[in-house]
Amino acid sequence: MAIYPKVAEIIADALGCDEEEVQPESSLINDLDAESIDFLDIVFRLEREFKVKIPRGKAMEEARGELTEDEFEQKGVVTEAGIAKLRAYLTEVPADRIKPALKAAEIPKLFTTETFCKMVIREQKGA
Amino acid sequence: MTEHFRAFSFVDKIHRDETGERITGCYHIPAAVDCFPLSLVAESIGQLAAWSSMAAVGFEFRPVAGIAGQVEFAGVVKPGDTLELEATLVKADSEAVGYDGVARVNGEVVVRLQDCLGPMVPLIEFDDPESLKERYRLLTSDGAVPDAFQGVPEFFAEKTGGVPGETSEGTFHIPETAAFFGDHFPRRPVFPGTLLMNLNLGFTMDLVAEAGDGISKWKAVSMSDVKLRSFMPPGEILELKATVEERDLDRVRVIVETRKGKRLTSSARILLSRIVP
Repeated sequence: MAIYPKVAEIIADALGCDEEEVQPESSLINDLDAESIDFLDIVFRLEREFKVKIPRGKAMEEARGELTEDEFEQKGVVTEAGIAKLRAYLTEVPADRIKPALKAAEIPKLFTTETFCKMVIREQKGA
Repeated sequence: MTEHFRAFSFVDKIHRDETGERITGCYHIPAAVDCFPLSLVAESIGQLAAWSSMAAVGFEFRPVAGIAGQVEFAGVVKPGDTLELEATLVKADSEAVGYDGVARVNGEVVVRLQDCLGPMVPLIEFDDPESLKERYRLLTSDGAVPDAFQGVPEFFAEKTGGVPGETSEGTFHIPETAAFFGDHFPRRPVFPGTLLMNLNLGFTMDLVAEAGDGISKWKAVSMSDVKLRSFMPPGEILELKATVEERDLDRVRVIVETRKGKRLTSSARILLSRIVP
């Protein structure tokens, strides 16, 4: 993945950590202590570096695919069909991290460095 | 008299707004105020960008302070000066405003901002949308009556510990009441990030002075990697820590962080240089 080094560098800069700490499989929230402002920062830096637009909620929308919101989540909990969709979309995330009864609000905790690489590549292809 | 658009508003007139792309305007620093720190010049640029971004989203959202990649302190200002303001927006949508900007006095750059990003929040939770629309119309036509600003108190952190010349720890109690809370923001008062910036500059200056020869004076060159992670409401208590990161004879770089309990609420790097007599 040719863009990986730059994405890792951007994530390290945004989080103020060493690049060595940023691994392809690192969960930005669980492993690197990222917060919502950091996600905004990282996406902004990626947009400027790679000249792409990554709209808010785009990853969730793509993960949901053809499922309606109700089919994807019920009362804030991802449905069985939704879990299957997430596992198919977030192939870089070990399947055992995407557990049944996952809360929709916790989906960003699954996002890894590689997830952001994929976001950039998708937008580059779509541009 | 209401403090709205008086106690913490730093744009008098918008000359031209290519909405969501580029905006120019000005602000006259009242001659009667005691001082006008450069952090408020940065605030002035940010407010100018905010007007353009709010107009771009139909005043449904407003930006709040979030990230500044680089704040360069290139000059000085004094009461009575007029700031010529300019901001170039690279993003202005319901998610955030991203911009670079500059403030000049008599054609000379005094503050330059780069890679700034302000998250958008629902405007209605912080202010009255109709008042803001009306104010925008005023700023883009006749301009506001200048000299409404009466100054802000100077804030200091109470030092609680540290290693002289290397680290400094302190506490800052955000006041329960202040005039600027009526303007920032009327429906949800928040301690302005640029006042925290000024507090951090003072705290860092004190740390660097501790390690000096007692004669040299230092000035702030820039702040970088400024990130505000949460709102600071009236009455909140913040813990400050400043740590020297790099130092040579003429320059010192310091990391300054604030926390509420264990939670990191803001961070920034500050570069100081020795003033050559």
